[in-house]
Amino acid sequence: MLLRLDDVQRHFGGVHAVDGVSLEVEQGSIQGLIGPNGAGKTTLVNVITGYVRFQGGRAWLESDELTGLPAYRIATLGVARTFQNIRLFKELTAVENVLIGMHTRLRDDTLAQLGTLPFFRRAQQRHVRDAYALLESVGLAHAVGQRKAATLPYGDQRRLEIARALALRPRLLILDEPAAGMNPSEKQGMRELIERLNADGLTILLIDHDMRLVMGVCKRVAVLNFGKKIADGTPEEVSTDPTVIKAYLGTGGEREVTSALGAGGVGEEQEVEQSATAGRSAKEPDQPILDIQDLTVSYGAIVAVRGVSFRVGAGEVVALIGANGAGKSTILNTLSGVIRAESGTAVFDGLDLTTAKASTIVRRGLVQVPEGREILARQTVLENLELATWARRDGVATRKKIDEVLKRFPILGERRDVSAGSLSGGEQQMLAIARGLLARPRLLLLDEPSLGLAPQMVDEVFRVIDEIHDEGTTILLVEQNALRALGIADRAYVIETGRILLSGSGDDLLHNPAVRRAYLGG
Amino acid sequence: MDFFIALVSDPVGFWNSHTLLISQIGINGMLATSMFLVLYSGQLSLAAPGFMAVGAYVSVLMELYWHTPFAVNIAAGTLLAALLGLLVGLPVLRLRGVFLAIATIGFVEALRLGVILNVPITGEGLGLKHTADPLGGVPIILVSLVAVVLVVWRLTKGRLGSAWAAIRQDEIAALSQGINVARYKMIAFVLSAFLAGYAGALEAHLSFIIAPLDEQYGVTRAVQILTFAVLGGSGFVLGPLAGALIVTLLPYIFLQAGPYINIFSGIFLIAVIVFRPQGIVGRGGLALVRPAWWPRARVRAPSTG
Repeated sequence: MLLRLDDVQRHFGGVHAVDGVSLEVEQGSIQGLIGPNGAGKTTLVNVITGYVRFQGGRAWLESDELTGLPAYRIATLGVARTFQNIRLFKELTAVENVLIGMHTRLRDDTLAQLGTLPFFRRAQQRHVRDAYALLESVGLAHAVGQRKAATLPYGDQRRLEIARALALRPRLLILDEPAAGMNPSEKQGMRELIERLNADGLTILLIDHDMRLVMGVCKRVAVLNFGKKIADGTPEEVSTDPTVIKAYLGTGGEREVTSALGAGGVGEEQEVEQSATAGRSAKEPDQPILDIQDLTVSYGAIVAVRGVSFRVGAGEVVALIGANGAGKSTILNTLSGVIRAESGTAVFDGLDLTTAKASTIVRRGLVQVPEGREILARQTVLENLELATWARRDGVATRKKIDEVLKRFPILGERRDVSAGSLSGGEQQMLAIARGLLARPRLLLLDEPSLGLAPQMVDEVFRVIDEIHDEGTTILLVEQNALRALGIADRAYVIETGRILLSGSGDDLLHNPAVRRAYLGG
Repeated sequence: MDFFIALVSDPVGFWNSHTLLISQIGINGMLATSMFLVLYSGQLSLAAPGFMAVGAYVSVLMELYWHTPFAVNIAAGTLLAALLGLLVGLPVLRLRGVFLAIATIGFVEALRLGVILNVPITGEGLGLKHTADPLGGVPIILVSLVAVVLVVWRLTKGRLGSAWAAIRQDEIAALSQGINVARYKMIAFVLSAFLAGYAGALEAHLSFIIAPLDEQYGVTRAVQILTFAVLGGSGFVLGPLAGALIVTLLPYIFLQAGPYINIFSGIFLIAVIVFRPQGIVGRGGLALVRPAWWPRARVRAPSTG
């Protein structure tokens, strides 16, 4: 056994983030670690790597005990890691990042530096060559070496972080969501990289939400839920384990079983949806509340949205779906006046959104609930809601409106005096939606409301969206979770690389195999 | 203007008549380098005036009481400052950012107001008179400055320097690469205290008296030293040095302004921060940055409806 954990404990306040986890990682294997959001995966990694202290249990890397060692010592012993939210030395070049990764292997050269001795120069040149070789081994071109880490595209930053970790010559490499936010072809590249590193003899502990990736590359998979290990076995054993399925799906429908666990196609589950959405129209309305014509948006040289046209009628739910980076959020941000369009028009209720001020747009009733929620973490729930009504003068009515919103979201009512940052992801999303509602929207733009939420929470969020819609608010929804979005949408548009690829009613698209291809890259 | 004309037309005469100014530039240059060390390793420490006071008082007291040679006094002051750096660093280096700044200001003021003003041997508020020749030290100061800058520059290029850069950019990532963050921060902090102590000991011998003034060993001095680094740019060792040169010369640059000199100096500093936020020595050659509010030609997109 390379890594052995015995009854590891860690709690924060009353929350048992890691509650007695024992795990063994075999030399030369790829061990998967999965679990719903908030299951304690990252905390477990932070405990193993010395960032968070053990409160119980022990850990060994072969015969070296890791328990209680500081993070830099554990790294020196040969445990390398990457970070969920990429932590490169941003202002340094790619090669410098990798050179820093070699820190523990380099001789102290302080005195040699003062004299700049020739033998030392040669050694330094050798290290630079080694660093370039490492960059190459993770698939980064030589030319990337001299670029600042911060300027690299997202996928390359992930690869650079792995190259830096490899520079430690680790015995164990821990990858914390290496494929998060990647498109299908990037994910495939990451999968090949992981398999290649493993084939070269490296033991890997892989944490990821993408079941296709985890189930595809791992020989064994352990599942955490609420800090406890609930299953450990081969991918087949784990994906058919009823406890695991229940942890992932809660009380939700059958639909997510296969999509969440990546066991196969999406096709056969779609029957369930069919009856629910039948009878909805694919036709664009003649009298739209929002009319977008030929909208093009660029970030410098990158064209994010290319000539998109669509309409939303009053009272509709319209979904924009598509993979990461397709341009969905850019469209919403353009509509709310945060980003300016390059050309094209977008008219909401007679107001030209491409020129109007963001504050005017909100006053007209077009309200955006941004991706990532953007709540004020240090303020209480109530303060967050009060700030949303800042611009209003009618005190009593405002008070009533806040009470109404709190009644709709009972969970927020219970926690009105708790700081928003301490809410769970799902509760924060509720708060963001509640805040949006306080602005009295006629058209509500929801950007990835289910992002990073556990399936039970996703159900809850979609239930709320449905309710808001039933009360007459028009909704434009951007979602990666295509099945859920199509389930409630009157109409949907599939966006791929800034263009509308397909459009149709929710259930038409549910049955269209082209959607799955655009979306899942299958 | 006469000042700069004299510099060009009669360098020898200039040198002889501005000994004190040249010495002060050298001292401030070393203090700027001391500031550079902590900033380069990601620590906003304002402790330098405290270490200067240790260097100054120890060297002067040894001279007054023990009559030991100049070199011994300076060395003792410098080493004690570095030792104090180690002791102060142990508790305060757990802090980061503005919290570290406040803690180090606390150290500086506690030393000045709490210790120096209350211990009789320091002369309390009156300070200490001594007999050192204030003019003898110019070559020593300039040679020291060059040596200090060279050493620090080489240090930033090696394993030590890359560890500092890593810590400055992201402490958590640095830990994951096996870098003992606490140790490397301490090395930078102690070296910085060493330099400040040395500069303080030399500076004490520029005049016949040392006194616990705010602009000498207090917060005002700390802010001045920080200004060297911010104005000059802290990404490269020559940045703070350039900042020290300019700030020390400001009274001469704006000599014509007479009583309004501080207004002009202030406007100049603000202008540098606005148009050159990375500092005078930094990336982008000599290009100025155009702030977002600066008026620019408007390009109106052709209306399509």
